[in-house]
Amino acid sequence: MTNCKDIEEKLADWLENQLSPQEQAQVESHLKQCPACQQEWQAMQQVWMQMGQLPVPKPSPAMKIRFEAMLETYATTVEEQQTYSPRHLLQLVKQLWQSVWMPRLVYSLLLISIGLGAGYWLHKPSDSQISQYQHQIDTLSIQMQEMRQMMLLSLLENPSASERLRAVSLTQEFKRVDPKVIKALLTTLNNDPNVNVRLVTLEALAELADDPSVREGLVQSLAHQDSPLVQVALADIMVKLQEKRSIELLRELLKQKHVDGTVKSKIQQTIKELS
Amino acid sequence: MFQVKAGDLNKMGLLFERYHRKLFSFLYYMTGKDDASEDLVQNVFFRMLKYRHTFTGEGEFKTWMYHLARNVLADHSQKNKRSVLHEDVQNYSDRISSGAGADDSIYKEQELITLYDSLGKLSEEYREILVLSRFQELKYEEIARILNTTEGAVKVKVHRAMNQLKNIYLKLEQ
Ligand SMILES: [Zn+2]
Repeated sequence: MTNCKDIEEKLADWLENQLSPQEQAQVESHLKQCPACQQEWQAMQQVWMQMGQLPVPKPSPAMKIRFEAMLETYATTVEEQQTYSPRHLLQLVKQLWQSVWMPRLVYSLLLISIGLGAGYWLHKPSDSQISQYQHQIDTLSIQMQEMRQMMLLSLLENPSASERLRAVSLTQEFKRVDPKVIKALLTTLNNDPNVNVRLVTLEALAELADDPSVREGLVQSLAHQDSPLVQVALADIMVKLQEKRSIELLRELLKQKHVDGTVKSKIQQTIKELS
Repeated sequence: MFQVKAGDLNKMGLLFERYHRKLFSFLYYMTGKDDASEDLVQNVFFRMLKYRHTFTGEGEFKTWMYHLARNVLADHSQKNKRSVLHEDVQNYSDRISSGAGADDSIYKEQELITLYDSLGKLSEEYREILVLSRFQELKYEEIARILNTTEGAVKVKVHRAMNQLKNIYLKLEQ
């Protein structure tokens, strides 16, 4: 036989109608033979149902405006500041800590600073030591590049167009570009709402056109662009790269009704130059 | 789901759309103050932005959000001593009156005001568990994760809180 304490835990589910049939039966049989519980549970159930009738407290419409202002301020001040301060670097290091190469980067930094410190302060470094440091510094700079690429990837997602422009401009410092970065740049080229960002991205990608995946992406992008500015710039690049694969897509573009008149003549000229 | 972590502040707007009403209601029931609750919601979203890199993606986003909300609330209560929900009962009864349908009797309105007043007299601990289960519509399992306890303990606490609420309510009704 169940006592009052045994079913204490069941009230919560009982109120929400979540009891299994067996538990339901167990509770009912207890309530039937225990008038005290019966009275208590019914009263609690009534209050519970009444709680459902309380109006839902609602925030004022100003709430959303304030939130958006906060977000904007955050994006332009806090994040910006961090990008240039040591605090940001520290945070970047923290964020990247889990990636495989990060511990190695910190380790190399340590080695080099210890090495340089000891080398320069205690005695003049030998040539072999110097070349060793040089090697370490080279390795480090490759790792710094990887870090920059990660930064670029996160900046590209920034809601502020000027931040995204900054991200694209980072590509100039790269010797070797990661496929992930190329993919992100191509996505930006095809989907960024801001025309300026798309144009700058196009320029940056044109510089990387030695990479076959970039070339391929640029050709395919013809099908995605609706801004006359970007279409014309793309056509120019196709000529510069002598990309004959683009001819077919350019012809497709000509068939579309919404294409601007000057863009049409530009495309016709491009096709002529390519064939 | 939590792409905000990668630095996409746009996603923050979506999260705001989705959760700010729920958060406001939670904080309103805990503080009894409109303005303060709006500030606190803002505060929660600010912390989400600031600490988004600490959200590991393990465990649900909602749990993390309520953790932040409870921290913000704790800071607030410390500064403002005990929350006194019932002081705002006048304000709240205005809401109830204006929100009541045509066939709602004055009698029923009075009942709801009494109920609200009773909630204000409940200890914060008990009020919180009822707000989470009844008004935030969270599962007991989710509440357990938010409060860092077991589901069984949550259910027992709901029982005790309901019992106390009912007693306060009956007393006030007399
Ligand atoms: Zn009993």
